[in-house]
Amino acid sequence: MDTRSPTGPVAVALAAAGGMTVLGMALSGAGLRRSGRRVAARANAVVGAADRRTAVTAARRLNRASGTLAASVLFDSAVEHYRGGFHNKAMYTPLVAATLSLLVSAHGHRDRGHDAELARDLVYAGAGLAGLLGTGFHVFNVGKKPGGFGWQNLFYSAPLGAPAALCLSGLLGWLSERVRDNAPDTAPLVLGIPAGRVVGAATAAGIIGTVAEAGLLHLRGQFHDPFMLLPVTVPPVAAGFCAAAAFGGAGRPRPLARWMLRASAVIGLSGSAFHAIGVARSMGGWRNWRQNLLDGPPLPAPPAFTGLALAGLAALSLLEDQPE
Amino acid sequence: MTDGTASRYPGYNVLSKRDGPSWDEVTRQVIDRRLNVPREPRFLDPERFRTLKAVCGRILPQPPERPDVPLAAHVDAKLFDNALDGYRHADLPPLREAWLRGLAALDAEAHAAHGRAFADLAYRQQDTLLRRCEAGELSHPAWDGMPPASFFSQRVLADIVAAYYAHPSAWSEIGYGGPASPRGYVRMGANRRDPWEASEARPGRERTALKENRRVR
Amino acid sequence: MYADEPMRPRTMQGRAPDVFTRGGWIPMQLRSDGEEVDFVVIGTGAGGGPLTARLAEKGFSVVAFDAGPYFRPLEEFASDEASQSKLFWTDERIVDGANPLKMGANNSGKAVGGSTVHFAMVSLRFRPEWFRSRTLLGYGADWPLDWREMWTYYAQAEQDLSISGPLSYPWGPKRPRYPYRAHEVNAAGLLLAKGAEAMGYRWSPTPLATVSAPRGNSPPCVYRGFCRVGCSTNAKQSQLVTYIPRAVRAGAEIRDLAMVGRIEVDATGRATGVHYHRDGVWRFQRARNVVVAGYAIETPRLLLNSATDRFPDGLANSSGLVGRYLMTQSNQAVWGEMEEEVRWNKGPPSLALTEHWNYDDRKDFFGGYCWMGQGPLPIEWSSVLTGARGLWGEALRRQMENYNHQIGLKMVGEMLPHLDNRVTLSEEHDQYGLPIPRITYSWTDNDKALIDHGLAQMRTSLELVGARNIFLQKDDTNHLAGTARMGFSRETSVVDADCRSWDIPNLFVCDGSVFPTTGGVNPHLTITAIALRTADRIEALAKRGEL
Repeated sequence: MDTRSPTGPVAVALAAAGGMTVLGMALSGAGLRRSGRRVAARANAVVGAADRRTAVTAARRLNRASGTLAASVLFDSAVEHYRGGFHNKAMYTPLVAATLSLLVSAHGHRDRGHDAELARDLVYAGAGLAGLLGTGFHVFNVGKKPGGFGWQNLFYSAPLGAPAALCLSGLLGWLSERVRDNAPDTAPLVLGIPAGRVVGAATAAGIIGTVAEAGLLHLRGQFHDPFMLLPVTVPPVAAGFCAAAAFGGAGRPRPLARWMLRASAVIGLSGSAFHAIGVARSMGGWRNWRQNLLDGPPLPAPPAFTGLALAGLAALSLLEDQPE
Repeated sequence: MTDGTASRYPGYNVLSKRDGPSWDEVTRQVIDRRLNVPREPRFLDPERFRTLKAVCGRILPQPPERPDVPLAAHVDAKLFDNALDGYRHADLPPLREAWLRGLAALDAEAHAAHGRAFADLAYRQQDTLLRRCEAGELSHPAWDGMPPASFFSQRVLADIVAAYYAHPSAWSEIGYGGPASPRGYVRMGANRRDPWEASEARPGRERTALKENRRVR
Repeated sequence: MYADEPMRPRTMQGRAPDVFTRGGWIPMQLRSDGEEVDFVVIGTGAGGGPLTARLAEKGFSVVAFDAGPYFRPLEEFASDEASQSKLFWTDERIVDGANPLKMGANNSGKAVGGSTVHFAMVSLRFRPEWFRSRTLLGYGADWPLDWREMWTYYAQAEQDLSISGPLSYPWGPKRPRYPYRAHEVNAAGLLLAKGAEAMGYRWSPTPLATVSAPRGNSPPCVYRGFCRVGCSTNAKQSQLVTYIPRAVRAGAEIRDLAMVGRIEVDATGRATGVHYHRDGVWRFQRARNVVVAGYAIETPRLLLNSATDRFPDGLANSSGLVGRYLMTQSNQAVWGEMEEEVRWNKGPPSLALTEHWNYDDRKDFFGGYCWMGQGPLPIEWSSVLTGARGLWGEALRRQMENYNHQIGLKMVGEMLPHLDNRVTLSEEHDQYGLPIPRITYSWTDNDKALIDHGLAQMRTSLELVGARNIFLQKDDTNHLAGTARMGFSRETSVVDADCRSWDIPNLFVCDGSVFPTTGGVNPHLTITAIALRTADRIEALAKRGEL
């Protein structure tokens, strides 16, 4: 018996989840190639003319990205702060902010109009602020513990990276409003910079931060399962492509970037499935859920990658649509 | 409790977790056996058992509001099983012999000092006798070379106190979580309580503690 | 409550319990008594376990004996202090001397896997200088082992046992990264850390042999806190769930509930096999080589009890040192109460430590010590209160009610080897008809100085974190070593660097008894490392035809 590899039903479950991930990545790749061709064709057809509908589509995509991140933050902070007994009332903040961000993202997703909404803007700005404050709180808490900013506290104390996901949700939402709110027949701009570039750069940075968080926690878990390498290998490549697109030439298709982003999106969703298997493998399995949902791998965390990948895809659409 | 103050962990009963994820089958069997220890002595004679019960009552006086942990019965069970500790001091005879001689000697000391059996003495007199035993100040021939102080620390205190804190009633009293498998603990920091742990009735939060303790499963 | 039904041997039908599945079995090769096996190993703990596995993996035929049962942790380890005393060696032993040792729960296990089934999992390396403490530090005796070689075997042991430790360990020479990350430190451990930082000392999460992430069939630790009475989840990387299954897979036979009472030696002065008691009868297993791995009491007891006309003072005892230089470690503690709820029973008991005084030589006594956070379960804690403070009656019950607020620091300190601290045979006999060991121990003046230093230091640490009602526990000791020391010559030691006895070339000793000195850290990892080395050395000797 090889004690380094899981056995029995766990192996089956892992193989199933792994297979689904690979299959999903392959499918998204196939879809990519098709859409890549489609976009290329369209880009050739309408050279230089920004399409307002594309902007709205991209904005709604950003809403979905923001909403996915918000959902991840909502459930993750609910679990983690429940574990902390909400001993500080401020620990409810991310729940409120993420819920609101989720709601306005849903609203934005349904909204096919061209105008930014003040309410959405306010909520997104609030989420971003709450994320910043949360990061500050967590930094403060870690700093005052014995061991300071050593590995031990990075592993087990308030996670420094988690509130940043709320920041990103707010930021992407705010960007979605800017993209939506562009003048007719112009490429959407944010602070005078083409929106695609801003969203692409923000997404790349967000992915790298999330990779750092996943890497830290998977290092804590000693990468005991080879699939734990996925979130620290594929998304960084996606982030690289995304950044290359953001800083590179516009108006052309980037099928590889799309491929990697969609793969990252699949990894995010299947990560939750992997984590569910991890909970089942813990002592007592799901029957001991009151312990294992908290101590086991976090179910709500991985979809943060999905949210960011969606944002990256929106950025790519904007960039492809942007005149050279 | 007996000194008039309320329990530190009101409403907490470690047995309320018996059928939850904190207890596994083997633990349930072990604790069930413990709760059903035979109350009548199987090793000691009635006289010595009576003395032992009186000694147990002074070593660990129990609160009146719940059934007593039958400490003498547990000590007798240990003797019946001859469950050794794995070592004994050279000046002590083996487990069973030490208890047989020690209980007889305590009774003999009581008769010599007060003309009555140890079990029939007032608590204060029993305490005094036990303290003199602890201090090694007893010298009745019934000790037959066994040092009373060693008997007190190695047998009386060790065996009776271990029997008490092996009992769920004692666990509830001190707010100890009790059995924990497969479910262990999650919240490791100071002042962090898992919902399946005892809640302490600090001043001002007695009602909260009671409420939380009743929800412990 | 105290005694379970008597157990019968489980490994007589060519299979051994699969500790990872309820009711499961793994196939196991059986050897007959008449077959002259390559090795008989007596004891399956920290020394015998890895040695059996490695010898079997190298192709030797091995039968390992353990006096205790082959337990199934998932089904048979209750979450209960009292009933789990079934893991301890509770056969009678007589203790005397000025500072009699506590045995039973403290120092020895009677189960396949030995005391690693109930140890606190602390897995530390020796300070390199301790292997030459006579030459470099001026006390004790030098080891015939080189620390650099030990460093590689430590690394192998840490890998095999999936030690969970910090990414960088603050003391000693560089070591490879621990295979698993350190565990979250509980409130009791963080108070140690806070105290250490206030004193200007470094601290560290303790490297522990319990996994912080899944490892094969071992789920991560759930912090139930019953480590010292057996791990019911298999998170603990004891011999029972690591080397023993490896040994069985590699073809070794584990004979449970088999008490070896005598080693037979022929006219030429070579060991020929062992007499053992199993399932009610005495049997004899033939063997080409015999390894004694019964730890510092049972090992000398067996050697002494195997005396013959040719070896009237016991086997391997021409030096007269078998049973001598017994060492324990000072395990004194300082206890106190915090305002906050600490709930120290959550998690493994020793999640944080400081080895400061193992590496700082500015002190006026020999030896070093570390201290660790504590989390005793109720019975153990009550025994501290009755033992160290003499509490009973109402006072005891009231003090026990503070259980969730208590904290404590406990030292593991180096005691010096002394000729008169020893194991002998008494006049009494046990259930097998074998003479009961008598264990004689007295502290030296140096031991007392080290203890006083440690107690004062730990007291300061507790004071600095605001603990109240602090008291000292002055009498506890733990761990064993010595009684068959290794050395450079047959006059001054029992075995050589390869753990081979000077007197009988096919008789080895492989456990903590070979330690010439004991260091200021828990001995388990060093015993394991020595066993791994011994297996390699035996292979090399066999290849050269020198076995």
